[in-house]
Amino acid sequence: MTKGLSTRIVRLSPWQGYVLSFGLVGLVTLLGLATHVFFDVTNIAMAYLLAVVVASALGGPGPSILACLFSVAILNFVFVPPIMSFGPPDTRYVFTLLVFLVVGMTTSSLTSRIRNQTEAAKRREHETATLYDLSRKLANSTRIDDMILSVVSSAKRMLGEEVIVFLPNPQDSEKPRIYTDKPNYMVSQLDVEGAVRLFRDDSISERALVPPYSGTRYLRLVSAQKTVGVMAVFSDARLADDQERLMEAFADLAAVYIERAQLAEDARDTEIVKAKEKLQTALLSSISHDLRTPLVSVIGVLSSLQEDKVGIDDATKNMAQVALEESERLNRLVSNLLSMSRIEAGATKILRQDSDVRDLIDSALEQLTRESSDRPINLSIPDEMPLINVDFGLIVQTLVNIMDNAFRYSPPGSPIDVNVKQIGGEVHIEVADRGIGIPQEDMARVFDKFYRAHNTNSVAGTGLGLSICKGIVEAHGGSVTAQNRPGGGSTLKIMLPVNRS
Amino acid sequence: MNQDKARILVVDDEQAIRRFLHVALTSQGYTAIDSSSGQEGISAAATSKPDAIVLDLGLPDMDGVEVIRLLREWTQIPIIVLSVRGSETDKIAALDAGADDYVTKPFGLPEFLARLRAALRRAAQPTSESLFEADDLKVDLARRLVTLSGKQVQLTPNEYDLLRCLVVHAGKVLTHRQILREVWGLSYEREFHMLHVNISNLRRKIESDRARPRYIVTESGVGYRLKTS
Repeated sequence: MTKGLSTRIVRLSPWQGYVLSFGLVGLVTLLGLATHVFFDVTNIAMAYLLAVVVASALGGPGPSILACLFSVAILNFVFVPPIMSFGPPDTRYVFTLLVFLVVGMTTSSLTSRIRNQTEAAKRREHETATLYDLSRKLANSTRIDDMILSVVSSAKRMLGEEVIVFLPNPQDSEKPRIYTDKPNYMVSQLDVEGAVRLFRDDSISERALVPPYSGTRYLRLVSAQKTVGVMAVFSDARLADDQERLMEAFADLAAVYIERAQLAEDARDTEIVKAKEKLQTALLSSISHDLRTPLVSVIGVLSSLQEDKVGIDDATKNMAQVALEESERLNRLVSNLLSMSRIEAGATKILRQDSDVRDLIDSALEQLTRESSDRPINLSIPDEMPLINVDFGLIVQTLVNIMDNAFRYSPPGSPIDVNVKQIGGEVHIEVADRGIGIPQEDMARVFDKFYRAHNTNSVAGTGLGLSICKGIVEAHGGSVTAQNRPGGGSTLKIMLPVNRS
Repeated sequence: MNQDKARILVVDDEQAIRRFLHVALTSQGYTAIDSSSGQEGISAAATSKPDAIVLDLGLPDMDGVEVIRLLREWTQIPIIVLSVRGSETDKIAALDAGADDYVTKPFGLPEFLARLRAALRRAAQPTSESLFEADDLKVDLARRLVTLSGKQVQLTPNEYDLLRCLVVHAGKVLTHRQILREVWGLSYEREFHMLHVNISNLRRKIESDRARPRYIVTESGVGYRLKTS
């Protein structure tokens, strides 16, 4: 029945049982012949009954029934009058023989039933002990590989068949991770494909994968409605019901612990991410500090040279002016890089406050005083505008980037139109210029990091500005679009939700 | 007090910035006193009796806003805060704690010196005059009269109170909350929307180019300031 299961119950093979039955009955017959002068027939029948009980306890139902029938036959032939005749017994003994037959049969069936129950109980106890032992082993190991190998070797020992566990491979879904306790075991490609199909499609039944006559059996390892792995048992014959049950128990246990290990791994990963973010923030603040500190002195000194009362000639003043403008550009670049990293570090870095759209636009224009000095700016903004809950500094930076682009990519003196509208739950800010526009083939990519449109070679730039705008606006739950204007130039539109989403 | 001989205490942990400000201040005739931490700055403020303090908000030993709070417990000398872009909440906290003005790093020296002069002047003459004049704008507080290029401007009582508040503190940055508290009262200090609407209306009446306000300047995410000519 159960291969590979070591039981402590003595169990003889069938032919040993039958030999035992014959031997016992023969022994009792010899004893009976030697003593029948002193004992009554009923006493001898009791000795036969003992032989039946022993045969059933050691040999099982077949040998015990044989011993019973054999005993009745010999009793009738040898001990019950008419002696040495198979003819109908003396009426005095008919009842004795019938009772013997009934008691013998009942005893043998009861004994074998008890035997079976004891055996089953012992087996269950052993299974439970193995599963318990396994779960203790699993609870003590934190590495997922060790866990699965423990499951594989325990299952193999209990089932007596080759057991393999497949886990999905996040790097390559075609090549699942394979766990077996045979060092050089070659898993066939067909078996691997079977496991991959089970990972992919929850609707495929495990039984559909193998032909009905095959002993190979797949079982999903399911935890929280999710397939975390597949267990396969390679057997020559179909698995018995209790083996199936055992396999399922192993599968359940494995699934629970795989999930636990994955959660632990996730927690570790989160911790690493947190530590990384902390480092990034520390690095950023130190970079921002270290890059800006020199700029404070540089810009401060250069700006003082612009004062009229400074006694320098115009040429020197113009050179200082160029240096100042470039320093300011460098400063804006540093700000852009910092914002980019802040956005990429996550939405938690956004410091929202209720802000007036008008305020945002004024602040952006204020930073661009020099660039906008020769430009007509047509500002159209409704009187009644709701406050928007945004990070003031970041949105101002977005507007600065977009307006600065508008100034740089349009001819001197051309107008810039800024339109603000409320549409549903969104505030739309449009900045439109009469500049060179955006070539159609670049339209989809102008918001990509470090991407610059083909017609921008004559203007200095990093390709960071618009991608930062997109990052900032999207981090606020909004969106940003670019399109060409009828009549030349381009329009950039920022759409921001009024209430934080 | 002779302004040109004013003593200025600079509290900044960056040696380069201290040196730069030291040179800039002494070249203007001020006496500069340096200090590299909050603690040191507070004791220097007590011992050397400066006429104004230039305070960096990002100090290593203590929060700049806390420094302001401690200073304001015993002195009203003007405090000008140095801050970086993007930390509007810090600037608001500093102004609400009693700082007089702020400059965003990096800053132009002329602008910084102008702010410093204005702060020193305000400290020297705490009572403002009843007549305010800047370019074409004239506000006569005694007669409640506002004129633009000689023509009278009709303002609602709310708009006039708002302008009056700005005029009284002309040249000084006022946080949204400070304006709301002063014009409408303590219980209105979170009604930002009402403030924006009134500023917008006021601007429509006194500013000619709405994209480039000449009088009421927006202080990025912090508040407003009435420009003095």
